[in-house]
Amino acid sequence: MEKDFPRSCDIFCTVVDNYGDVGVCWRLARQLANEHGLAVRLWVDDLHSFGRMLPELDVALSQQTCRGVEIRLWKADMPEVAPAELVIGAFACRLPESYIREMAARERKPVWLNLEYLSAEDWVETHHKLPSPHPQLPLTKYFFFPGFTDRTGGLLIECGLLAQRDAFRADAAMQARYWQGLNVPPQRQVGELRVSLFSYENASIAPLLQAWADGVSPLRCLLPEGCALPQVAAFFGHAGGRAGDVWQCDSLTVHVLPFVEQPEYDRLLWACDVNFVRGEDSCVRAQWAAKPFIWQIYAQQDGVHLEKLEALRARYVEGLPEDAALAVRDLWLAWNGGTDVAAAWARFNERHKLLAEHGLAWGKRLSGNDLALNLLDFSRQVA
Amino acid sequence: MKTAQELRAGNVISVGGEPMVILKAEYSRSGRNGSVVKMKMKGLLSGSGKETVYAADDKFEQIILDRKECTYSYYSDPMYVFMDEEYNQYEVEAENLGDAVNYLMDGMEDKCEVTFYEGKAISVELPNTIVREVEYTEPAVRGDTSGKVMKPAKLVGSGFELPVTAFIEIGDKIEIDTRTNEFKRRAN
Repeated sequence: MEKDFPRSCDIFCTVVDNYGDVGVCWRLARQLANEHGLAVRLWVDDLHSFGRMLPELDVALSQQTCRGVEIRLWKADMPEVAPAELVIGAFACRLPESYIREMAARERKPVWLNLEYLSAEDWVETHHKLPSPHPQLPLTKYFFFPGFTDRTGGLLIECGLLAQRDAFRADAAMQARYWQGLNVPPQRQVGELRVSLFSYENASIAPLLQAWADGVSPLRCLLPEGCALPQVAAFFGHAGGRAGDVWQCDSLTVHVLPFVEQPEYDRLLWACDVNFVRGEDSCVRAQWAAKPFIWQIYAQQDGVHLEKLEALRARYVEGLPEDAALAVRDLWLAWNGGTDVAAAWARFNERHKLLAEHGLAWGKRLSGNDLALNLLDFSRQVA
Repeated sequence: MKTAQELRAGNVISVGGEPMVILKAEYSRSGRNGSVVKMKMKGLLSGSGKETVYAADDKFEQIILDRKECTYSYYSDPMYVFMDEEYNQYEVEAENLGDAVNYLMDGMEDKCEVTFYEGKAISVELPNTIVREVEYTEPAVRGDTSGKVMKPAKLVGSGFELPVTAFIEIGDKIEIDTRTNEFKRRAN
């Protein structure tokens, strides 16, 4: 096994919708480049979506370097390039045929991985690291599955992330500056709860907001711009909203935040008491934030996503008393197409302290399984 | 060409120029409506087996080999013997049967497709749906009528166990999807 292998990496990403795919790829690219010293090229087919999480990205350029990563616009007529030593196709995206042929023609073949979607289901363990020999060419791709157990590829976690989180939480002045930067009062009212809300369109938004408005304690909701904004605006009787808007109804105050970069989003999750997250990347970040969280999973045909939701819930609640485990289940289900989100929220929030303690232990348990490290170890094994 | 999700045990495909017989194909739903197929296959030239995984829409050249309709006849350690309509007998190694071995039993009348490569029987394909009798299963737990709670059931003949819905009882005949080893419904 060569210790300095691989020295270069191409990551291919197609933006399907929203920001999850490119968000994961950008996070992995930075980690491989900045923590492990690889020369990383990130090929993305939609720079406009990418630009929302990387403000300095110039969408007019087909090639540029940002934060140690070479970013390339992946167009149909891809230029001829020498493949990197490690090639990662994210989320089963189809690599260009010319690039695949070039990989196969090399005397020393690149290590080719398909980085799959995250799932907590048991079958992932039996599929992780399996080869996928090309039907025609002398070339093998390997499937690499992120996951929540030691028999999977683990999760993306930057070096020192949890220490940064703990330092932020221990520093009241830093937190105050953070809130001031968002134009949110640093001082909380008595009994105030702060909740981040990042979700897809969701029929449970209006009843949840109503429950918060009707609550006896003040609740401040931090809402990054995105799919949920029109529904929240409609709840307050507005046709739309934008970053900086503040809306109030009885106990509920909503602050609309700009769409922020990944490190800023982490701070939001660390600063809030409860986090509503969606898709893959923010779900993982909520687990590093270690606050009680509610996951809205990406909806799939035939309701198959509900099995995936349950698979993570079942792992996450291990060790919790039954009533708390049920409270998590009820709110997650209500938030994913179920009913009576108000009652489910009340039961969930009653157990906030217990769930916060549990979240810390859960995040610590997961943090030893570093996806980038595992991915590099595996690439050395099969090189 | 066939996609990975269309392939099933018994099919022969070309991978890197070698004919490979598929012993088992297992379909799983990944994220964002993507799917993967885990396939256990064996090289017909090298004889070596491997476990692989493919995206469900990966395409393969299927190799059409001679096939004959047969019925299972008997087990002659270590080979399973099948017989065609002209009473010719063909021996198949247990390893090449894949999951079909779970449903073989003396006296079964299901028609099987035996595939031949260079005159040798190399795989057996069962009908997509077969009916088997339950030899043993625990009684249903009272109160659950949702049909979603599953319990293990052991089949007559092979002793194979699979999950069935709670209302299935000992002696019931059930339909099974042989591609997925899943219980479908109680047979009438």
